[in-house]
Amino acid sequence: MTMDYPYEDFLDLFFSTNTNSTAAAASTSSCGYSLNDIDIDWDCDFRDVIESIMGDEGVMTESESSPMLLGQEGLCNSASTGLSVADGVSVEEPKIDESKGLRLVHLLVAAAEASTGVNKSRELTRVILARLKDLVSPGDSTNMERLAAHFTNGLSKLLERDNVLRPNQHRDDVYDQADVISAFEMLQNMSPYVNFGYLTTTQAILESVKYERRIHIVDYDIAEGVQWASLMQALLSRNTGTSAQHLRITALSRATNGKKSVASVQEAGRRLTTFAESIGQPFSFHHCKLENDAFNTSSLKLVRGEAMVINCMLHLPRFSHQTPNSVISFLLEAKTLNPKLVTLVHEEVGLMGNQGFLNRFMDLLHQFSAIFDSLEAGLSITNPARGFVERVFIGPWVANWLKRITADDTEVESFASWPQWLETNGFEPMEVSFANRCQAKLLLSLFNDGYRVEELGHNGLVLGWKSRRLVSASFWASHDSNQ
Amino acid sequence: MFHAKKPSSMNGSYENRAMCVQGDSGLVLTTDPKPRLRWTVELHERFVDAVAQLGGPDKATPKTIMRVMGVKGLTLYHLKSHLQKFRLGKQPHREYGDHSTKEGSRASAMDIQRNVASSSGMMSRNMNEMQMEVQRRLHEQLEVQRHLQLRIEAQGKYMQTILERACQTLAGENMAAAAVGGGYKGNLGSSSLSAAVGPPPHPLSFPPFQDLNIYGNTTDQVLDHHNFHHQNIENHFTASNAADTNIYLGKKRPNPNFGNDVRKGLMMWSDQDHDLAANQPIDDEHRIQIQMATHVSTDLDSLSEIYERKSGLSGDEGNNGGKLLERPSPRRSPLSPMMNPNGGLIQGRNSPFG
Repeated sequence: MTMDYPYEDFLDLFFSTNTNSTAAAASTSSCGYSLNDIDIDWDCDFRDVIESIMGDEGVMTESESSPMLLGQEGLCNSASTGLSVADGVSVEEPKIDESKGLRLVHLLVAAAEASTGVNKSRELTRVILARLKDLVSPGDSTNMERLAAHFTNGLSKLLERDNVLRPNQHRDDVYDQADVISAFEMLQNMSPYVNFGYLTTTQAILESVKYERRIHIVDYDIAEGVQWASLMQALLSRNTGTSAQHLRITALSRATNGKKSVASVQEAGRRLTTFAESIGQPFSFHHCKLENDAFNTSSLKLVRGEAMVINCMLHLPRFSHQTPNSVISFLLEAKTLNPKLVTLVHEEVGLMGNQGFLNRFMDLLHQFSAIFDSLEAGLSITNPARGFVERVFIGPWVANWLKRITADDTEVESFASWPQWLETNGFEPMEVSFANRCQAKLLLSLFNDGYRVEELGHNGLVLGWKSRRLVSASFWASHDSNQ
Repeated sequence: MFHAKKPSSMNGSYENRAMCVQGDSGLVLTTDPKPRLRWTVELHERFVDAVAQLGGPDKATPKTIMRVMGVKGLTLYHLKSHLQKFRLGKQPHREYGDHSTKEGSRASAMDIQRNVASSSGMMSRNMNEMQMEVQRRLHEQLEVQRHLQLRIEAQGKYMQTILERACQTLAGENMAAAAVGGGYKGNLGSSSLSAAVGPPPHPLSFPPFQDLNIYGNTTDQVLDHHNFHHQNIENHFTASNAADTNIYLGKKRPNPNFGNDVRKGLMMWSDQDHDLAANQPIDDEHRIQIQMATHVSTDLDSLSEIYERKSGLSGDEGNNGGKLLERPSPRRSPLSPMMNPNGGLIQGRNSPFG
């Protein structure tokens, strides 16, 4: 195994991806089970759905009970076969799936509808969720069942959150940090979802500060700081000796998130400092505690001649939930620093606009069905690593999103999208470089076919799975104001 | 991370494949069960001409190209994938490589140049300028590849330190809990716990950065390792629910939070499993068997036998991956820094569990 092996390897990957993409895409699309595949008229009257479900609960008619029994039978089969699900079984399955999948979607929508809005009914929600729990569990053998199980759990949590008498009943999905980090790492290896945001941003930052001696990054939500390891490595590899660029990172932490958030930011700082030392990158770390969630530039330590970079990773699985208003106030304040670059990464879930809860819920279902599909293409559903990632990571991720979309409508922004907001608020688009596009394509070529990258205007890139957009990164700057 | 490519696109055996020329049309196809078309320079030229005639790569469709080219035997499928490549400006490098041995590298460079030129509308520029642009872009692509790999590795390494730290914290908590419980003084002291987690003195130390390159080559094994490692975790989770968890590590578990402890034990073994997988391509079934053996066994000596056999193997077959297969020193491996195979094993033997 010589040193130039990976190099060649990369070339191969790079140049051969497209050769078999058409064939592979054709084959994966047939095996994946996707919500997109079922053409349901979502505008249909949900009353009917609910009524039919109410009917189910009251009188168990012949016609209603039989498909359910079938579905359960299918479940039993696959559960008993466990890991050794043979081809013979999976041939049988799709028939059951199709009707069951539809049924699950109907039930989920009904539960969502019942749990919110004017017709809110706690009892109905509870009944529907109980039915769903009978039908699915996170260890089931099809994507749709697992997806439904995670949504069911999320909705149940919402229901219990409202229940003042028994708060915090759900402790079963609290995992220790080692589990969460393992799962995070596995997810990075299964899907470009996380690294797309990290690496695209890293590349844009590198390009924007090419000739700067001192770089100052203000990170809106640093999490573990994984992203900055790659930036340091990249800075180091292009600078040697005395020309080394100094990197400073200021991480924000919020009082509203409690002591834990402060401690984890400090921990990330220590870790990054050690990492920088180990590779010889000049580095310093600052921690900026926000009071009342309001960011103020006066609380930053600024050094003359530093190039400012504002980094905003929103809503990625590892990141704490921030309200859009908090992001807006941060960006508006950060703008006065005349940043050379503002990076924004966000999930492509329709939280924007007042489309109503059900639309957002459906959008979320679509989003996660795309995510499940994309995982399926890389790792079979029976792979334990996948089950682990789903339990530890995707379950809570779904639950968090459900919590967000049921939040008061006042919290939901009235603008169409983040890029549009930035543009109308005086941020200038910064073009995506050839190298960055190239890197993104290369990153995707390391994973199974089905992922794609497309441009978002001139200043952004979107990672998609088939026709669904998953996550996007865009780049901005601001050179105006008082100076 | 670097998985999921079909071996056929990876192993570089393209040249070895038997070719057959289809009589009248002069098309060159591989004789695979799934024949692939070889895009010869001539064929590609006709393709480029057709695309130009049709108003550029974005206007041309496979169907219209097929009509304009009028080559017998060429299918929509062939054209579709070639056009896709052409639009992306990615060069079907290999295929031209075959010809460049005869005609010199100029031919392939010209093709590439034509590709880039027509796809980005630079037709009007003079040749020199174009050639420089092409070279710059090719160079840039290669740079991007190199950098991407290093960056991913840097992140991976960083994540490992977080994981390591998290495991240590857990171990600490377990110890605290144990101390409070006072269930096993001296018997199962700090030494065995810390051995399972790795040497504690400096929680955050990083191996020299150059090591990254060595491990960069192990892309497949990395994934292998991951799957494997987590299979272990998974099995543990199911096992810990079962009543017979105890036989797994022998003695009763004094620790209320024993799940984490078991996992660390597993991590320790999974490093060896990883070595096994790296040394020798084994089919899944075999691997599962070994793993099952690891789980069921109550006898640590039998495990160490497995371990020793494996080391023997790595000596025999480690010739093309010497660096890799070397038993990593405890702190060096970015793949498994929290696993301390040597120390862990020795400890395991002497520990009260044995």
